[in-house]
Amino acid sequence: MRLAYVLPRQAKQYVITSMRVSLRLAAIFMFLSTSLLEAAENMAGRWEGSIQIPGQELNLIVDLDQTNGKDWTGSIIIPGLGVKGAPLAEILVSDSGVSFAIKGALASERTGQTRLKGHLTEAGQVSGDFLQAGNTAPFVLEKTGPPQVELPRKSTAISKDLEGEWKGDYEMSGYSRHVTLTLANHEPGAASAQLVVVGKRTTNAPVDLLTEEGGFLTIVSHEIGITYEGRFRKEAGEIKGTFTLGPFEVPLVLRRTP
Amino acid sequence: MKTSQIAIALIACWAGTVCQAQSMFRGDAAHSGVYTGPAPRAFHRVKWKFPTGDRVVSSPVLSNGTIYFGGDDGSIYAVDAESGRQLWKHATGGPVPSTPDVVDGTVYALSYDGKLYALDARTGAVRWKFASGGERRFEAKGIHGLQPKTQTIADPFDIFLSSPVVAQGAVYFGSGDGNLYAVDSASGELRWKFQTGDVVHASPAYAGGVLYFGSWDSYFYAVDAATGKEKWRFHGGEDPVIHNQVGFQSSPAVVNGVVYTGCRDANLYALDAATGKEKWRFDNALSWVITSPAVSHGKVYFATSDSSLYHVLDAATGKPILHQQDKAYMFSSPAIAGDVVFIGVMNGTLQARDLKTGEVLWSFQTETSKQNKGWVLTAERSFNDPLLYHSNWREAPIVAADRQFAIGAIFSSPLIANNVVYFGSTDGYLYALE
Repeated sequence: MRLAYVLPRQAKQYVITSMRVSLRLAAIFMFLSTSLLEAAENMAGRWEGSIQIPGQELNLIVDLDQTNGKDWTGSIIIPGLGVKGAPLAEILVSDSGVSFAIKGALASERTGQTRLKGHLTEAGQVSGDFLQAGNTAPFVLEKTGPPQVELPRKSTAISKDLEGEWKGDYEMSGYSRHVTLTLANHEPGAASAQLVVVGKRTTNAPVDLLTEEGGFLTIVSHEIGITYEGRFRKEAGEIKGTFTLGPFEVPLVLRRTP
Repeated sequence: MKTSQIAIALIACWAGTVCQAQSMFRGDAAHSGVYTGPAPRAFHRVKWKFPTGDRVVSSPVLSNGTIYFGGDDGSIYAVDAESGRQLWKHATGGPVPSTPDVVDGTVYALSYDGKLYALDARTGAVRWKFASGGERRFEAKGIHGLQPKTQTIADPFDIFLSSPVVAQGAVYFGSGDGNLYAVDSASGELRWKFQTGDVVHASPAYAGGVLYFGSWDSYFYAVDAATGKEKWRFHGGEDPVIHNQVGFQSSPAVVNGVVYTGCRDANLYALDAATGKEKWRFDNALSWVITSPAVSHGKVYFATSDSSLYHVLDAATGKPILHQQDKAYMFSSPAIAGDVVFIGVMNGTLQARDLKTGEVLWSFQTETSKQNKGWVLTAERSFNDPLLYHSNWREAPIVAADRQFAIGAIFSSPLIANNVVYFGSTDGYLYALE
């Protein structure tokens, strides 16, 4: 290397040491990159297995994929618990394992999110812990094929006439509730909603799906278990529909706030 | 009479009174939920546990050293209170989630086979049987939002049968056929019946010649015990859509001229016993009150279902004195003995609370509850709703409720006698703790 001729001996030694360190770091980086790429290759796919909770075995199917060679996506199926294609969140993949949370299923305000944490075994399986409501049970997964990630429905844009604030009331089990729905369009091509239900207490329901197709509006808060479906009637200045909270279903007409 | 003879007579009299006070549901005919004698403020050991063939929802009663209770395996049992040894059992044609009443050597108990049984307390031999119009559970289309909502579904939470009360030479009990029956206690002959609009599984309380009880038709009734004539009725809440907030499943307590009763409309009511006029109500924000209230020293003790709250109210005004958050639903009725309140929790725990502060002095968890098969419970011993109620279609919610009940749940109202607490569990055992 040319630098070696012009630098004093100590400096030369420093440069040589630095170069060695850099080379080592580069090697480690390359190794890690290769490992992560391998991990990605290893983890992407459909994984099938079971969870052993006390007195019950649950079948488990996990689909993991990587988009753009960077971001992980995934979905999960647990047939015995009515979970089909629930999206995964907080997916972390390393060369030794994977962890993620299940979004919008097997969760409540009290129990929190369900999580799986697993590591790759020498046999190529992923084994680890299924954590739900503070309980922990072992699971084992084996790769069975390419990923079949079920992508969640995406919110759409809404017509300009629907933008703004809408209000209405409904009665459930003898108590009246007041609903305020605020709709707004955002770039690129998706709208958002704020849904507030005031009864004995105030609930700000996080809306994770808002669609409008030909004047038919659908609003879903998976976290609270609320669905509102209604048809926009421009001439009447109202949305006439049905409000569903878990098993409860009541008619709800929303009118624009003057 | 010598002093020793007087002492023996007094002891016998006291013992007789105690036996009488412990030989029926809720301790006395007015169902105050108060038991005489001392109660354990600390848990020492399981004195014994008696196995049956199915869950035990019935509450035990005590008479002359014998515990009597019903089993969902269809039998009425007599068990030695000291040893836990079976003395006899009598098979009926259906589950017995009803609490017997033992009077003058006869055990009266109601079975799901639609028959009221009068058995010899010593041998279990049948003295007579009386057939009502038949048992059934409360049912409705779309109940609790269960699907398909166009189909009639029996309410899985209609867990108890009416427990008979004996007074004025008659046995009084409610029935799934909607009637309150009065049957002659000696002969088993019908004296009268009083028709309501739906299932009567609440247990009638008797005070001052009047019977007080609620029906699933949303009304609470006062009926003359001698004639069966209605004195007054009180209208509770209605829920015509999903039938969730309607009906009296709780059994009343009648103390100092006031009737206290829980209701599935989420209220605890205090009604004037003479007129039926509402004195006050305590709203539990959509949470059922299935427990039968206990009333002592001017306070009302009860608990709620979904909100899992233990409450103490002022009996005169209904003003809250204290409430404490528990882990799971409570259908078991609180029982007071000494300075302790005992109550069963559906997560398989029996709790002893300080009467004054409500503080949990000790608790006992059934083995089945500890095993937590299928993760019915969270790690904190609340119900694991996301795993249980993931579908409201067809049999799924019924199965979920059954899984909840099977966790070693305690529906039984505890009996306290001689420092021992007796209660049943859905794990199939009758427990004696000291």
